[in-house]
Amino acid sequence: MRRGRVLFGLFLIVVGAYAVHSALGWSFKTALFPLSVSILLIILTAAQLLLDLFGKAETAGGPAIDLELAADVPPDVARRRVIGIFFWVVGFILLVFLLGFPIAVPLFMLCYLRLQSHESWWLSLSLTAFAWGFFYGVFERLIHLRFEDGLIQTWLGL
Amino acid sequence: MFDALIDGLFLVLQWKAFSLMMVGMGVGFVVGLLPGIGGPATLALMLPFIFKMSPAEAFAFLLGMHSVAATTGDITSVLFGVPGEGLSAATVIDGHPMAKRGEAGRALGAALMSSLVGALIGAVFLALAVPIVRPLVLSFGSPELFMLSVVGISCITSLSGLGARGQIRGFAMGCLGLLVSTIGQERQSGSLRFDMGMMYLWDGLDLIPVLVGIFAIPEIVDLAVRGTAIAGDRPAEDLQKGVIEGIKDTFRHFWLVFRCSAIGVFVGIMPGAGGGVAQWVAYAHAVQSAKDAKEREGFGKGDVRGVLGPGAANNSKEGGELIPTIAFGVPGSGAMAILLGGFLIMGIVPGPDMLTKHLAITYSMVWTLVIANIMCVILCLGILNHLAKITYVRGGLMIPFVLFLIFVGSYTANGQIADLIVTFLFGFLGYIMVLLGWPRPPMVLGFVLGKLIETYLFISVSRYGFSWLTHPIVVFLILLTALVIAYPFIQERRQRSRSPANA
Repeated sequence: MRRGRVLFGLFLIVVGAYAVHSALGWSFKTALFPLSVSILLIILTAAQLLLDLFGKAETAGGPAIDLELAADVPPDVARRRVIGIFFWVVGFILLVFLLGFPIAVPLFMLCYLRLQSHESWWLSLSLTAFAWGFFYGVFERLIHLRFEDGLIQTWLGL
Repeated sequence: MFDALIDGLFLVLQWKAFSLMMVGMGVGFVVGLLPGIGGPATLALMLPFIFKMSPAEAFAFLLGMHSVAATTGDITSVLFGVPGEGLSAATVIDGHPMAKRGEAGRALGAALMSSLVGALIGAVFLALAVPIVRPLVLSFGSPELFMLSVVGISCITSLSGLGARGQIRGFAMGCLGLLVSTIGQERQSGSLRFDMGMMYLWDGLDLIPVLVGIFAIPEIVDLAVRGTAIAGDRPAEDLQKGVIEGIKDTFRHFWLVFRCSAIGVFVGIMPGAGGGVAQWVAYAHAVQSAKDAKEREGFGKGDVRGVLGPGAANNSKEGGELIPTIAFGVPGSGAMAILLGGFLIMGIVPGPDMLTKHLAITYSMVWTLVIANIMCVILCLGILNHLAKITYVRGGLMIPFVLFLIFVGSYTANGQIADLIVTFLFGFLGYIMVLLGWPRPPMVLGFVLGKLIETYLFISVSRYGFSWLTHPIVVFLILLTALVIAYPFIQERRQRSRSPANA
């Protein structure tokens, strides 16, 4: 956790430094706000980093007002599941990019339900049909959203 | 005036206007539930349908839809941890942990009842304020609006963990949010900032992909890690009892609900601030209402006051936003700007005429807000039992469905694949922040307020130099900012001096 905090702190400092570097090339009025904010970001993050590295363990104040992640799952299982779900998220975006939403949605639903959740064919196909019906009925017919074609359709001229 | 009030009610109760309001409510209900797709987008989509309507019918249709979308957005936030729309993000912070704890019914009951109370307070303010609001709005120029945004950003102290390090992390995240808000074309000179050569970034990052990503993706990851239903393996709650408990909570904390509603109205009146700000200021105010540090620690983990505050402010701001829109033709938010389009389509010019010639139409809007919200809450209470059961559905079945809703919702922002990438990147960032204990709400507050702060600061300095710092309202707001920043520390200090160890 401490290593993670240090790495995240360094990441924020790099972001701040990039912002300062970019802002130095702009006119005064354009640069003023991002420059002030990024310098403050660097100072605050550096202070936090120093406290994490050389300060006493944090006791006062309690945690941030935010979501608490599950603590009752073994760390190696949790790590595997985190990587797994991010893999699925990236996979879905790739499917949308390649095939467009109308095809990606049912394909993703079916793949996830069969391969990840290990549901029966019957349940997987039923839920996939429901998801596609919901997508088509609400987003395409009711709200009339326009979805871009995927790269493959564009490439094949379909 | 009383006659106009009654005429306004009859205008809404005419069968055609009432039926159209019901249709609008139906659309708003569905749209509010869908992640990411907010009221403004739907208003824009529905605008072409009002051409053949009378003004009262058109506003019943549009406002019925808009006010219901704000209410049902809270349902998605509570059940899935995914903001139903940009304005419901703060409800996620405490509403979803309640659902995870098996108290979805209570959280939904609290969200709906506080929304109703907020909407009614907003409508009353609107009815009372229209004739007298002119001096208030006119006394707020850019310097005052800038300072009002600074008061908003000072709420970071309440949204961060207590203690020096908690505050440092909170303010650093606020700065990150402000920095992210500067991406894109600078409004005054048109110069591009941090665009990385991508045309997508010229307009800056849209609120929806950022909010949906930063809040929804970490919840989905957590659900996948736990491998259970949202409510875990807990026995099903007595939903009816839970909902009633949530309704009672609204009245147990009525004074808080009233204050947060007033915050919503006030922020709504101020042009440009909008509900995105109101909900966070109200949430921060709810956190400040904690009596001591121990009670405060419950926020973020399922304190019902964290649901009541944003719920009330979200809906009361509708009444507030309508005040400058109707009285001056100055829209308080994107949604009101679209509604202003509705005025023009109807051939009505907002301004003094709305308070004289068209007063009945003005009051028909007040009645629409009241009737639509009451009906929505009654309808929702009827189906809450079924909705809350969703939290007991296996995670393996929920995740793909919620993921597809998240990404379709994000896609509606600009209709580009880049929206999905932004959602993913902010989702990943959000997860890392949660994992390492860096708070997300200050970053979102910074992001929401960043553009306003920079714009108002620029106008203030260009117009007044630095003399605006001596404006009486500005001085008052500077003092208020100092108080808001100092309050958690004063509270902590007072608590420490009272604790038995120091006795």
